[in-house]
Amino acid sequence: MGFSVPLSRIVPYALVGAGAGYLYYVAANIEYHARAGTLGPDFWPKAILALTIAVCLYEVVKIALLGTRAQDTAGVLEEMAEEGIEQHADAQAAEPPAENHPLLLVAGMLATLAYVWIVQRLGFFLATVAYLAVFMWLGGYRRGRVIAAVSLIGTLVLLLIFMKLVYVSLPIGVPPFAEVTLFLMNVMGIR
Amino acid sequence: MESVLYNLGIGFVHVFQPVNFLVLVLGIILGLLVAVLPGLTLVMGVVLALPFTYNMHVIPAIVLLTAMYISGTYAGAWTSILFRVPGEPIDVPLLWDGYTMARKGEAAYALGWTLLSAFVGGIVAAVVMVALAQPIAKIALTFSTPEYFAILFFGLASVVSLGGSSLTNALVSLFAGLLIASVGVDDTYGAHRFTFGVPILSDGIDYLVVMVGAYGLGEVFQRLEKQFRSVPFESVSEIRTRLPQLKEVFARKGTFARGSALGIVVGLVPGAGATVASFLSYGMESQYGARARQMGSGVPEGIIAPQTAATASVGGAIIPLVTMGIPGSGATAIILGAFLLHGLQPGPQVFQTSSHIVYSMFASVFVGIVVMCVIGYFATRFMVKVLALPEVIVSAYVVMCCLLGAFAARNNITDVWLMVLFGIVGYLFERFRFPITPLVLGVILGPLAESSFMTTMISHANDWTVFFTRPISGPIMLVAILTLLYPVLRRMYHETKHRAGRHTQRQE
Repeated sequence: MGFSVPLSRIVPYALVGAGAGYLYYVAANIEYHARAGTLGPDFWPKAILALTIAVCLYEVVKIALLGTRAQDTAGVLEEMAEEGIEQHADAQAAEPPAENHPLLLVAGMLATLAYVWIVQRLGFFLATVAYLAVFMWLGGYRRGRVIAAVSLIGTLVLLLIFMKLVYVSLPIGVPPFAEVTLFLMNVMGIR
Repeated sequence: MESVLYNLGIGFVHVFQPVNFLVLVLGIILGLLVAVLPGLTLVMGVVLALPFTYNMHVIPAIVLLTAMYISGTYAGAWTSILFRVPGEPIDVPLLWDGYTMARKGEAAYALGWTLLSAFVGGIVAAVVMVALAQPIAKIALTFSTPEYFAILFFGLASVVSLGGSSLTNALVSLFAGLLIASVGVDDTYGAHRFTFGVPILSDGIDYLVVMVGAYGLGEVFQRLEKQFRSVPFESVSEIRTRLPQLKEVFARKGTFARGSALGIVVGLVPGAGATVASFLSYGMESQYGARARQMGSGVPEGIIAPQTAATASVGGAIIPLVTMGIPGSGATAIILGAFLLHGLQPGPQVFQTSSHIVYSMFASVFVGIVVMCVIGYFATRFMVKVLALPEVIVSAYVVMCCLLGAFAARNNITDVWLMVLFGIVGYLFERFRFPITPLVLGVILGPLAESSFMTTMISHANDWTVFFTRPISGPIMLVAILTLLYPVLRRMYHETKHRAGRHTQRQE
């Protein structure tokens, strides 16, 4: 046991278990007027959280005791799919080993979060054109003119569909940026 | 039976109205494109289409999503057979014989078998769906809350025990979904649960936000991490479909029958959709088929079995959705969302109050399959050209549709923040091998499960044994528990067998 325990396998369960423990505490403090002989609104979440903690605890103990020998019980489909894939390995698509780009992922997530923040200020049109361009560039696409055209035309099409056909009131932004969206809405006949 | 046919006739009248028919054709084309495009899955496609239905009438909305669901089970076969690129997991078994046939120069023939299998599986399942729906709805009318809870428990148990690489991870995922569903003001007491002082959380977390985030954005994040590195596909000089001869079809009627029956049964089971049907059917044909030994060497049976079952699962999955309001798969969960958005709760009552909508949905399955096959026969070579689209551009618009879909649900930016959060959660779940389907079905079925459980407890003085002592709920609960234990028992059995084998070897 000891140092041979794969920490990376324990951490997710420990974190989920700890989170469930905190939420159990929150659930235990839900305020309500109790009725005699009736389960309260805290019963259901507390039961779920207790089960979550139990499952996480089981996994942590199992990995701690068995170390690298600790195996997962897979779902029936997963096992069947694996068996099938093993049997027909020759016909399988020869996928090249895909390299991970964690920085790219973080940048993509941050760009998406930034978009949600900025769309309320810049308005849908400006924020979306910028976001689409940034996303495509992050994704490794480098043809500037295509990026510009696809971002611009695509955003105008989305604006038209959602504001004119689906009647969704998209964010127009704050002045002076709102003027851009309002101008486009006028041009497209969106009221 | 006469009333069923009469209602189905009315359904056909609705479907053939110009707008509805156009929407159906559009849905079929979109579903085919989604299945072909790399990085887009069937469920993602249906999720992304949902915001566009907000302003539609209920029938075209349901028709659009149903059409996408049907064709999404078919077109991935083209890329599997022609380019060795399965559009999604459903199409993996089609690689084994379909691609092998293509390598032998029989690509057109393989595409013909695929088309015919999708047609037969889809139509047989549609007939069964129409025949079974009303009787099941009548039985469901007699159900009380313990029976509903038992069915939901069975659904959730089967979701956990079928998919995922780890049973415990699937359980954690399910519990997370059930917990998310409990956020908001409780119906019975009006108590605030996990709202943390955020006003919009009092209304709860819309499951569409969770679905769009976890299925849509989470998947894009995964592919972004790989910088959208797709499998390169080989070019094929000529793409056409050649249908098999009638005598060849009749010689394989057993395979068609087995595939269709299995697809319908698997579709009926909550949590087991087209993918399970496809794998199971291929596995069954490999064991019990007339040409079991030749499976994998490029025989039509290796295409018929998975494709018939995959398309037949659609009809099967619609039955619990319309008769009990229980979605068995991601796609039917979104269709349920479309029903709810239009103020309709699917279930046994819907056959009495809005039968024209249900039967329009049924009719759209029949018409959709025919339209899908016609388009599939003539347009395969044009459709597969979308594979040339840079994946990053497609993904950029997938993200936009996710963001807009979340915003449009309640016109609230908090939902967009939540959707992005669930996108990150979806990514982390996949990264750490926690399956997403139990999370999503937990969010959807959680409120129903809680209300049936709590109502039962109130009606039966907190006596939980009532679930096991009633004549209908008892056996269902038992089957659910066995379903949950099945993977564990199966593993224990294999280990014991393995150990016994080694012991015998040592003795020898």
